[in-house]
Amino acid sequence: MEFPLLVLRNLTRHPLRSLLTVGSLAIALFLFCTLRSVITTLEAGLAAASAQRMVVQSTVSLFVGLPPTYQARIEQVPGVESTCKWQWFGALYNDVPFSQFAVDSERLPALFEKEMELAQGSYDAWERNVIGCVVGEGLANQFRWGIGDRIPLIGVFFPHPDGADVAWEFEVEAIYRPLVRNFSGHGMFFHWDYFDRTLKAGGTPPRVGAYYLKLEPTADPASVSAAVDELFAAGPQRVQTAPEAQFQAQFVSMFGNIPFFLTAIGGGVLAAILLACVNTMLLTARDQTRDLGVLKALGFGDGRAFGLLIAQALTLCGLGGALGVGLALLAQDGIAAALGGSFPGFAVAPRTVRLGLGIAVALGLVSGAFPAWRAGRLRVVDALGARE
Amino acid sequence: MTEPMIRVRNLTKAYRRGGETLTVLDRLDLDMERGQFYALMGPSGSGKTTLLNVVGALDRPDSGEVFVGGADLMALSGSELSRWRADTIGFVFQGFNLISVLTAYQNVRLPLLLTPLSRQRRREQAMHALELVGLADRAKHRPGQLSGGQEQRVAIARAIATDPDLILADEPTGDLDREAADQVLELLGRLSRELQKTVLMVTHDPLAAERSDRIVHIDKGRLGGLEEPAVAHGAQA
Ligand SMILES: Nc1ncnc2c1ncn2[C@@H]1O[C@H](COP(=O)(O)OP(=O)(O)O)[C@@H](O)[C@H]1O
Ligand SMILES: [Mg+2]
Repeated sequence: MEFPLLVLRNLTRHPLRSLLTVGSLAIALFLFCTLRSVITTLEAGLAAASAQRMVVQSTVSLFVGLPPTYQARIEQVPGVESTCKWQWFGALYNDVPFSQFAVDSERLPALFEKEMELAQGSYDAWERNVIGCVVGEGLANQFRWGIGDRIPLIGVFFPHPDGADVAWEFEVEAIYRPLVRNFSGHGMFFHWDYFDRTLKAGGTPPRVGAYYLKLEPTADPASVSAAVDELFAAGPQRVQTAPEAQFQAQFVSMFGNIPFFLTAIGGGVLAAILLACVNTMLLTARDQTRDLGVLKALGFGDGRAFGLLIAQALTLCGLGGALGVGLALLAQDGIAAALGGSFPGFAVAPRTVRLGLGIAVALGLVSGAFPAWRAGRLRVVDALGARE
Repeated sequence: MTEPMIRVRNLTKAYRRGGETLTVLDRLDLDMERGQFYALMGPSGSGKTTLLNVVGALDRPDSGEVFVGGADLMALSGSELSRWRADTIGFVFQGFNLISVLTAYQNVRLPLLLTPLSRQRRREQAMHALELVGLADRAKHRPGQLSGGQEQRVAIARAIATDPDLILADEPTGDLDREAADQVLELLGRLSRELQKTVLMVTHDPLAAERSDRIVHIDKGRLGGLEEPAVAHGAQA
């Protein structure tokens, strides 16, 4: 069959043009897949959230704390197995932000038993050291921390009572490893007691940002949620109890409308590349007008002429698309490392690969459609008259 | 007598340009016998190419009858005409005949792809056609690496690859120097003499026309006289 040969030979007729088109397609699809993966990673994080965990927070906002006295009352609610205080700390290490949380240290291991395990150190050692902390493997690698290292953090939302430039001192007692992709390996957990005691000494005892609940296996999340909310319906501080996924979704929406923004950029990139492809295919078709006339004179049908151009468009876009998607796959680990803890589990999902390749094929069909349609309708006498 | 290769009756084709109507073919009648080498001559713009295109089913007339090789071209659909061309006609155009991105061999094989022949048979027939025009050793060359005369001979090889009955050639020597033109004319003559092809060649070169069996004159879309060339082929052979 001369057909594939003719397709390939025609694409190498103007090697630079083909190369530039394939190159820009590759870049566009690389960008698209990478942006798309940020969104799917955020979504996957929500999907991976445990149904066995719920979070109690103020109805007002995430930044309004709850009284520490609530904890004992929440634990009385049927279906609640245990609770854990959860306070985002938001301090800087050498001016670098990362996620730290003040938690009930003795309750943390059970709460996330399926999500994290210790790679080094022990929970017992952490328990014995009031300034002790557990840090994620990713974080430890990033800052080259090991067991016993001292970590000074400058409080931003919670300045040290002795002065805004006085550091909170921590000591690494354990390093954890995430057991699931979407659990951040860049977190740090420390004792609620240390947090509480230090702020009390300064005269402003802290409130609790949120309570993590671990439900009994047979508990019904909806009735637990209703019961907890009911408990504090009369104040002093009303609460809302939601599944962990919903709690995390707030942080995603804190990025503003980032998913929408990323989708818009990705769409814009694709629209631009579509125009570039249409342009290439129009030039390609024009170069081949006379050839198409000769082929038709020889007895090749209109369908063949149509197919010849569609095949060229599909080959160009398929090549560029495969290259771009492949690049996104190759780069995903590097990008995940660069994103660090902000997008735990950044990965190009198989459905993003399929979407990218599907879009490449669609680009080929759309950009090839008009020139191919014209090639199909081209009359031999007009084609042979061209360029004479 | 057997039926003629080409039988045209009352053929009319006109172009409308602005308000004016330009009649290119004017109630033209024409018969051409099988196995003969015809030269179609006439001034520029007299309708030679148009007539050739109608006979080769590349163009449709406004009215009239066109029978070629027994087929009623006016009764066939576009896709039927495509298939019919592949079976019946070999074309040689004035220039830029070949697909520049394919080799000589690949060009010659092109029309064979539309036949049900095996790969092996296609190869043999394409190479045979190239041998016939004396260019088997250039099979792997691209058109850009061939001289104008060689290109035109490859085009002739392509035209005869499927063994069609009728070869239509529109000014095949128009772009060639004398020597190359002679080789092409010699080839076309051999096609009719040795392979019993009907050859219809448009030319306005009187020397080229001399090489044919019959010269047909056309002027303003009407046929003039039919004449025998001064030099008889019998005497040459
Ligand atoms: N597509 C067209 N539209 C308008 N006029 C045309 C077209 N094709 C050919 N003609 C005119 O028809 C006449 C005959 O053309 P043609 O058959 O190519 O002449 P020849 O081959 O004898 O030089 C010319 O005057 C030419 O300008
Ligand atoms: Mg002409």
